[in-house]
Parts: sequence; structure tokens; C-alpha cells
Amino acid sequence: MLDRERRACCDRCPDGTSSASEERIARRRLLKAAIFPAHGEPEADRPGRAGAAAAGLATGPGPATEGPATEGPAVAGPAVAGPAAGPAGGQPPAADWSGGGPGFPDAGLQPRAVTGTIVDVCPQVIVIGDAQGEQRFTLMADATAWRGGQLEPSALRPGEQAVIRLNPAQRNVADRIWAGIGRVTGTIIEHGRDGLVIDEGRTRRRQLVVIPAQAAGRIQVRFPNLEPGYLLDVIGIRRAGLLEARVPATSQPAYRSDRLPAPPLLSGHVPDAISGSATWHDCADEPHGVLGVGYPALDPATGCAENAAGAEPRGSVRMPYLAVGSVLRIRNDCTGICVGLPVTGCAPIARLFNDRCVTCGTSPRGRVADLTLASFVALGGELERGCFNATITIGH
Amino acid sequence: MMLITAVRVVQIPLLSAMLLGGCTAKLTRTLRLGSVDAGLGPTALFPMRLRRPAAMTVCTIEFGLGAGLIVTAGHVGAGWPANSVRLGTGVLFLVATCALLELRDTRPDVGCGCFGEFSSAPVSARTIARAALLAVAAFATIDMPPLRVPDRGSALALLLGILAAELAVLGALSPELGEALVRLGYSEPCELRVLAEDRTLSSLRRSAQWRKHAGEITAAAPVDMWRELCWRYVAFASRVDGRETEIVFAVYLRPRRPPVHSALTDAATSEVIPWPAPLVRPAWPLRLARQARQAGLARLARLSGPHSLTSAGLPAPSGQPGRPGPSGQHGSTAIRPAVKRAAAELTPGLEPLLAAPTEPVFPDLSMLPAPPMPTHPLGSGGSAGSARSGRTGDMQLSKDI
Repeated sequence: MLDRERRACCDRCPDGTSSASEERIARRRLLKAAIFPAHGEPEADRPGRAGAAAAGLATGPGPATEGPATEGPAVAGPAVAGPAAGPAGGQPPAADWSGGGPGFPDAGLQPRAVTGTIVDVCPQVIVIGDAQGEQRFTLMADATAWRGGQLEPSALRPGEQAVIRLNPAQRNVADRIWAGIGRVTGTIIEHGRDGLVIDEGRTRRRQLVVIPAQAAGRIQVRFPNLEPGYLLDVIGIRRAGLLEARVPATSQPAYRSDRLPAPPLLSGHVPDAISGSATWHDCADEPHGVLGVGYPALDPATGCAENAAGAEPRGSVRMPYLAVGSVLRIRNDCTGICVGLPVTGCAPIARLFNDRCVTCGTSPRGRVADLTLASFVALGGELERGCFNATITIGH
Repeated sequence: MMLITAVRVVQIPLLSAMLLGGCTAKLTRTLRLGSVDAGLGPTALFPMRLRRPAAMTVCTIEFGLGAGLIVTAGHVGAGWPANSVRLGTGVLFLVATCALLELRDTRPDVGCGCFGEFSSAPVSARTIARAALLAVAAFATIDMPPLRVPDRGSALALLLGILAAELAVLGALSPELGEALVRLGYSEPCELRVLAEDRTLSSLRRSAQWRKHAGEITAAAPVDMWRELCWRYVAFASRVDGRETEIVFAVYLRPRRPPVHSALTDAATSEVIPWPAPLVRPAWPLRLARQARQAGLARLARLSGPHSLTSAGLPAPSGQPGRPGPSGQHGSTAIRPAVKRAAAELTPGLEPLLAAPTEPVFPDLSMLPAPPMPTHPLGSGGSAGSARSGRTGDMQLSKDI
């Protein structure tokens, strides 16, 4: 029977990473293909290969990083990774649909993000792990780290939470390290002495953001209005229960979050390819390593609790309605990496922004995808930049 | 000379209408959004803290000048008050022209905001030309004598003609006009259309695809339902040939008579399964038989008199409704042969169907001409036209009986 309760939480209930959600995503793809068979589908898309491959979810491949063998939406293990082609390294796109039919990226060919706690670090090696075990990665001379700013990897400290991007060609080599990185995107609820209380949506916990004096000028240039009702999007360092903001992730919209400007009208059909800004989100409730995308226009009829109750999710970009399990082809216009990812949730905050991404050129207005951290890294994004210029293609 | 005077006269109401219209549109937008900060236009050139007062000032000036032009158009306020208002209007439009030029250079993505949210298109040469034209029009009204109603019809016609021509020019210079017309005749693309799931289910249950496959569906509520672009997919649990299956329908998101596709899949693996057989829809021969039976009964009624039939014109059942009578058959056995004969006369070839219309005795459908299959114009996942299956046909028939 139709599970209304599960639908209300966008198929991502507290146990949303269970196999039930993964199967649902896989089944929807197969059932759709039963009605509208696609020509030239890759093997992974054909019936009989339900499960993780059909769901397009990473299975934590790669010798160095398998965490608990995950079969579904992408839960990467203790330090499970995601795809990602050498983003800035000038490497060829690891997965590109341009030449073939729809398909998910071969996770074995993608750069991946490994997440965990730093156990040990020295100029040549970094050891990262968690309760599931430890993994050791080689640090090349050109490897860089970030902790509120660029620093040498050897300056990292054991005990810090870190995201490591692996070199796609050498799986045991760390390419980039982000230590303690976090992001808060939402509506300012309160501006008190302790900091800013941010609402990230109906189903997420409120976040406390502190803007230290050394970052205040930089942030307030882009976010001049820190009054309740206005939007905030900052990247910083996670400390006990709060985010210490370091860099603004975008420019603040001039409007309040509850007073969105009317989106432009569209006639005819929505174009297949929509360009805009792709961002990443940092959700404590979401396991690390999930390969998926939060889509700003989830079907309002499903009653997804992440959407405002009874409200039509109209953002600043008119995007066609989809459901959890729909597949998007997302292309990083800066690196050329193009992968297919399943929609794993809605992005109620992303659609409130009408901003542009200027990572490479100026993107059209609006956020078209809110990627999980692993997906963002997989597509070659630099976490501290907050976004990349992206083009999404739907329905192919 | 008269033409020039007429042109000058027309400018007063026109300028006033433009100013009051712009002020109203801005106020409407501000009230709807609840914030002056969200305003468009040259206020974007100001620092954030000055945008609100700048927007309020512009709106107030527009209202004041628009109302002032009307008030001072006649004998009241003639002289320096009227000239001040007209001069102020000219200066306002002149400043606006310069501001739009600046805005186009510094913020090419921002609309002029002249008419609220209708003016969201980036500033173009047309917008700037309109502001310049209005500035010239305002300066042209300075030192004009008080307006009065023309006493001749020809003068009135001239004024109206000039007004219409100038409105046409302003319309051509206004990108907002296109936006307004688009909004008037706008229809949402199907990808953006919001349609409740219950409505989709209602449309599905009225469709030919549903009628074809309803016999196999084992649960009233769908197993899964989701939307993608213009289609909503609905999966139902079903059983075909003893195998657990699922029937998935794709319903186009259109309020009326949406196209529907269907496919049969395995419940465990979601593999596509060919439809086991075309589901013959025996409704029309039965309906025909029913009509024939009714016609026969009517004929008998005429022959036998008014008391031989029930008030409904049907033979009185000898048992409980819906259950066989003592003889194991429904209806009056005395009437049945006559009905059969009458029906056979009316519709030769249908006699087998009339053997016992309410009994679970299944006719040999191979005797009937092939009924038209309820195929959808867009086709379906079914296998219409394949070999017949007595089982599925019988199931449907027994249901109809």
C-alpha cells in the first residue's frame, strides 16, 4: 500500500537510508522504463538489475575505501566515498552521458570523498577512520588542506572531522582535505548575542551560527542584512553545536524568505536542460557518502514535510516537478564532469535563493540542484566555494 | 497651431495616468511582498540602508505629481502652481532617464521597476526612450493655459486621435505591455501544473486502460505513486496467471481525459511481463443482448397484456434478487422461450448469449464478431490483438453478468 507516512518525510524518514528507500528508488526507475522504454540504456538501467546499481547509488567500490558494503542510496561507509573526477586537475570527465544513454557514473572511475576523523597525520600520510576502521592515504606534495583557509595538510590535528577527496587515478592518494567544514543555509530566525539562529527547513534542526570578528567584514559585504526573515548561506568550521562562519557562500537576496519575487512565466514546455547554480548541503541527519541530489521542485502533491505545508513550492526558477527517485543528469559546467544522480530529497531552502554562481563565468539565476557533500565532490566541486555552474537535464 | 495645442493638452492626463499607474503598481508589489527592499529599478543603485527610503520617496513623488497634474489642470492652481508641478514632472522623468542609463551599465540584469513586477525585464533602449519621451512631454506642458472641455466635436475627435496615437507609441516602448498580455493568456506548462493525486486516480479509474486491467488488480490502493515531469505513475498490486505482478499506469497530468499508458511487471523483480492476453471487453454484446431482451419483453407485453410483467417491464424473479430461483434460474421460465425467440428475430446470431442472461454460463465468444478493442490513441503497454484467452474473457464476462 501507499505509505503516506514515508511519503510525508520524502522517503527519508529517520531510517531513510534503509534498503526500503533504495529499493523504492530503483523500482521507480524500472517501472518507468517498463512504460517508456529507453533505447540504448546502459546495462545498469535494464530490468533485473535493481538495487544499488539501478538506483545509481554508490556501492563504495574501490579497494581502499569500502566501508560497509552499501547497496543503496549511497551510504558510504565510515568513510565512504563518492565519485568525482579530477575537478580542477584537468582530468577527463569521469562520466559523461553525452555519448550514450542515461546511466549512472561508474563509481570506480570517479573521484571519491572519504569522510571520517583524522587519526594521525604527517607530511606524507594521513590516517582517517571511525568505528568501522581506519584508512591510510598518501599525501602528495601538491595536496592541500582547508580549515577556514588554506593550510598545509601537516597542520591538521588528530581528532578533527575531515573530508578527503581522493585522486581518481590513485585511490590511496589524497588530493584535497577539508577539515571540520560545515555549511548553514537558511532563514535567520533570531540574531542574538550568541549568534544567529538559522532555520534550515521544517525537518531539520535549527543551527547556531557565530560570525567571528575576523570574518565579519567579509561576510557582511555579501550578507548586509542579518535581521530575522532574511536568508543566510555561510561556510565555516563546525565546532561543538555551532558553525563558526568563515566565508559567505553566495550573496544575500534582497527579499525576505517569505516574500519571494514572482518567478518568470514560461510558455510551452519547460526546457530539458536548465542551467543555474549547484550547491551542497551539510545535513547532520544524512549519512556521509550519500550520492544524491536535493531537488528544489519536488511534487507538492506528495505532501512532503520538507515542503511548506500545503504550499506550492515555487522558487525563483520554474523547474518541472519530480519525485524522489527521479534521475537528473547533472553537469558541472566548470569541469565538464557529468553524472546521473537520483533525487533523494527536496531542497526547500535552495529554491528560495535567486543567486548566481560565479565559479566559472556567471551562471543563470537560481539554484537547480542541492547536492550531497559526496556528490558535490564527485562532480568536481570545491566545497569552500559553495557552488559550481551547473546544467541539469531531466527526463533522459 | 491647433494641432500643437492639442498635443500639449493630451500630455496632462497621460502623464498623470502614467505616474499614478506606476505608483499603484509599486505599492501593490510592496504590499504583496511586504517589503520595500524587494523593489526593482534604480533603487538597486543605492546602498542597502538607503533603498527603502529611496523607494518610498520615488513612490510618494510619483503620487504627488500625478495628483498635482490633475488638480492643477483646470483653473484651480493655474499659473505657477501648475507650472511647478509640470516642471517637477519633467525633472522626474529626466532624472529617471539618467538613472536608467546608469542602471543599464552597472546592473544590466535588473529591471526598471517602473510598473512594479511587470517591469522585471532588464532595462533596454525602449525603456530609456519612454522615460525621455515622457520628460519631453512634461516640459512641453509648461505655460499651458488651463484645460477645458472642447466645445466642438472635431476638436474632441482630434484630442482622442492624438491620445490614441501617443498611447500606441508608449505601448510600443513598454516591455510591460507584453508581460501583461502574457499573464492574461498564460497557461502553465504541464511540467509545472499542480494536480492532486486523487484527481489523477479518478482520471485513471475512468480510463479505458483501467477498465481493461481492473480485473487483475488485487488492491484498491496503489502500491506506489510518483510524478515525473508531465506524467504521474501509479503502481497497483495485481495477480496474473497466479503470479504476483504489478500493473503500473502512467497518467498524463491533464485535468480532463488524460492519456494513460500501462505496463505489467513482476512484483519481485519489476521485469516487464507481456500481457497474458487481450482482455476482451464483452460489454457491448451484452448490452446488445440486454437491449434485445428488453425489446422482446416489450413485444411480449403488448401481446400478453399489462399484468404479465412487473411494473418495471421485467419478468418478476421467482427467487431472491441476485440469487437463483427454485429452478436454478432467474426470471420467469414461461417467458424465457418467447424472449429468446423475439431476441433472435431482432438480433440473429446472439441466441447463445440469451440462453440464461443472468446465469454464470459463459457463451462461446468465438461466435461473436470481434469487438472493438478500447485502445488508446497513444497506445499502451498491453498486447492488444494477440491471442484470445478464454480465462480472462470469462472473468470479465462473469463480472459483467
